[in-house]
Amino acid sequence: MTVPPDLPAIQAALRGGNLHCRQLVEHYLEQAERNRALNIYLEVFREEALAKASESDARLAKGEEPGRLFGCVLSIKDVLCYAGHRVSAGSRMLEGFESQFSATAVERALAEDAIILGRVNCDEFAMGSTNEHSAFGPTRNPVDPERVPGGSSGASAAAVAAGTCLASLGSDTGGSVRQPAAFCGVFGLKPTYGRISRHGLIAYASSFDQIGILSRTATDAALLLQVIAGPDPYDSTVSLEPVPELEPLLRDDSPRRIAWLALGEGQGVDPAIAEAYSNLQGELEKRGHRLEPVQIPLLNYLVPAYYVMATAEASSNLARYDGLRYGHRTARAGDVGELYRKSRTEGFGAEVKRRIMLGTFVLSASYYDAYYRKAQQVRRLIKRELDRLWENCDLLLLPTTPSPAWPLGQMTDDPVGMYLADQFTVMANMAGLPAISIPFGYKDGKLPLGMQLLGPAFAEPALLALAHQLTGKSS
Amino acid sequence: MTPFPYEIVIGLEVHVQLHTRTKAFCGDDTAFGAPPNTQVSAVSLAHPGTLPRPNAAQVAGAVRLGLALGGRIKLYHSFDRKHYFYPDLPKGYQITQEAQPVVTGGVLPIRMKEGELRHIAIHHIHMEEDAGKSMHDLLPEASLIDLNRAGLPLLEVVTEPDLRSAEEVDALMSSMRRLVRWLDISDGNMEQGSLRCDLNISLRPRGDTAFGERCEVKNLNSMRYARQAIAFEVERQRSILESGAQVQRQTLQFDPATGTTQPMRSKESATDYRYFPEPDLPPIRLESDWVERQRQALPELPEQAYERLQASFGLSAYDANLLSEERETAEYFFALSPEPGLAKPLANLLINQVLPWCRSEGKPPAAYPLSAGQITGLLQLIGQGRVSHSTAMQRLLPVLLDDPEKQPDELARQLGLLQTSSEADILPVVRAVLADHPDKVAIYQKGKTGLLGFFMGEVMKRTGGKADPKRAKQLLRGELARPH
Repeated sequence: MTVPPDLPAIQAALRGGNLHCRQLVEHYLEQAERNRALNIYLEVFREEALAKASESDARLAKGEEPGRLFGCVLSIKDVLCYAGHRVSAGSRMLEGFESQFSATAVERALAEDAIILGRVNCDEFAMGSTNEHSAFGPTRNPVDPERVPGGSSGASAAAVAAGTCLASLGSDTGGSVRQPAAFCGVFGLKPTYGRISRHGLIAYASSFDQIGILSRTATDAALLLQVIAGPDPYDSTVSLEPVPELEPLLRDDSPRRIAWLALGEGQGVDPAIAEAYSNLQGELEKRGHRLEPVQIPLLNYLVPAYYVMATAEASSNLARYDGLRYGHRTARAGDVGELYRKSRTEGFGAEVKRRIMLGTFVLSASYYDAYYRKAQQVRRLIKRELDRLWENCDLLLLPTTPSPAWPLGQMTDDPVGMYLADQFTVMANMAGLPAISIPFGYKDGKLPLGMQLLGPAFAEPALLALAHQLTGKSS
Repeated sequence: MTPFPYEIVIGLEVHVQLHTRTKAFCGDDTAFGAPPNTQVSAVSLAHPGTLPRPNAAQVAGAVRLGLALGGRIKLYHSFDRKHYFYPDLPKGYQITQEAQPVVTGGVLPIRMKEGELRHIAIHHIHMEEDAGKSMHDLLPEASLIDLNRAGLPLLEVVTEPDLRSAEEVDALMSSMRRLVRWLDISDGNMEQGSLRCDLNISLRPRGDTAFGERCEVKNLNSMRYARQAIAFEVERQRSILESGAQVQRQTLQFDPATGTTQPMRSKESATDYRYFPEPDLPPIRLESDWVERQRQALPELPEQAYERLQASFGLSAYDANLLSEERETAEYFFALSPEPGLAKPLANLLINQVLPWCRSEGKPPAAYPLSAGQITGLLQLIGQGRVSHSTAMQRLLPVLLDDPEKQPDELARQLGLLQTSSEADILPVVRAVLADHPDKVAIYQKGKTGLLGFFMGEVMKRTGGKADPKRAKQLLRGELARPH
């Protein structure tokens, strides 16, 4: 069976009776089964998804008007809570833990008749760029199973790329949606900080975390964002900015002023990416947009500042996993101190421990000023620098990653090398701005490449419209 | 005896648990005494994916207390995380305000037993959340944790080191208790832990201006313990100083069983709380108009009420203190606004009748069954000498309480309780009493004039309390002066 290219086409087919939800879910289940070796799904909610599909079909047959996301079959990253379902953040620490409530994003998608097919793998507590840091084994890249799918929402990108679902909800703290989207050849949208409620998103670094969408088309990302974004009393950091009707805005092809980041020597950008990057600039000019190069002198400070702040917040956010109330608890401990030490030592993987220790260090009284405070200053500066940029342009173009997907195991012993691979993505999180990774070009005709557009706060319509233009073959 | 050669210097951190309906950062119930771990949602349990939500009632309580203390309300303030691992702290950090507290400065007036007024400077007030409760002695091999208290809203009031004795600490805690109850932000109940304090104590030779090294005694939830802790700590630090050694800065806990303080952790292993801005809660911005409205809405404060009871109504310090202990009592008094002559009788009525009734009924004075008109009527009967004080309290009041529809003067007439000063009514009784006790009359006339009280008592008994005592006494004296 061929699945229609995007959600509007699926919904048209469902309304026309040429397709049934049940068929659709069966198809995705089959795809998931066929791609088992990629280790994408930690759990498939098979019976539940089929039952919901049949229910949708029955209601459609009765002539009831379905929710806005009917026919939208999703997977969710293992950091999103779904009431009555297990959620483990890719960690032994939470193995077997079942959430009592649903994330606002999940609840809103379900309320509009989306179907959740299963929860997908990720780097432990969303810390990693390869999906190799999952306690449940690495996920492989559907394009080349010997390569990583990226991370930490690597399995979300793989799930979409392998056709096991229409779209996936991930989370992006320093690039965790956009980088795997680039590695797997799909769209990855990280909205403005506060655009989507974080209620029910397991926290890695709270001031950076944002739920994101991985999809095959910009249209699908827009339709999903429409439903899951917006104010939520359960998250006081969520924005009260109203969510505009996004679908019509996708067709806005007005000329934009696009600044493109001039690449320097030190960035180690793969030649294939440099080439695709300049092709994209040409393509955009051809479509009537005005392009001009910019330098961002602060760029080299962003990764270190990001890792100082993100690990600081992580060390705090992960303090609750102590084995006392839920999650992994060591079998034997003499006193409460030992209970903490052993439970956490056994429950957390190496990368998580590394970041907890880094974060604890940078927050300690004697180093706070040297690290955390400096990083805060860098963060303020990049916000200011980008604010100035928006005075003269609408959007910023830059590659999503300096390289395409690398082979499994290549970076596992080089954490700093892995951190530096985030150099183009952390900027959006540092500044709290929206960004989208657009699949554009291939290396050696095979490995997908991603190009990134970044915009001012709440510029999601412009990002999605441009993404739609560049690839919009359907609807 | 040589005077104590050191000056005691004490600063307090007072923890006020606010009696909001819900917890500081989630919707869980806050009622005291619920079965353990029944007021614990996923937020209180720090489940993954949960986020805090600020409680407007906590902010309002902090602002109200800050205004009452004359502090500066910060229109922009923010939360921080304070980290430490303990089983009754589910998140592994406490949400508090380290860098930007809601209130800075202020003064709390405290009143010493002798009536002397002192002003204690407040350093700041910040908002935070309570931890759960650990119970280490209920089971032999395990500790028990109750998280009902985890996340209850607290205000921490930090004073300057302005206190010089246990008596002042006592007075400060009493003033604080009275104030938070007065402002209706906390029940101020020390037994239930809604009011607790940490003490910072140091000694310095008398005359020195520099402070000595201090020790902190944590979490005192009774005034008796606080006094014991201070006494022990002063003695301990004195003996260290007198031996020529230095006091080491320490965090101590008080052991009620032994009356001593024990180190919780020493300087070497000083806790690093790793404070940083709470990313889950945006800074709070208050509208200055809103703060101004809060200021306007403040009631008259207890110290002002105490002053006014004395200055405008001529009450004694003792009565004024009792009547300004609770806002409802003072307001009740002021609402009745007694005429000059009736202030003291009203104070007596409140102290001896109404407040005991409130305590036994568990209700505020406003719920007392008598209307303002009835109380005024009753007091007027006494003031005008138409009913004696004791008759009014013992015979009229119980009937009025049973039948609050009745008017006091009408009822007094019906019951025949109105006093009489007419000679025609009283003199025959006086004569009868004297005639019945010729032996006592004889003794009186020999100079035992103290027997007048006995004769008065007899007269009042036989008139059913209706005789005007002044007139009765006058007539008795006259009759006794005549030879029998």
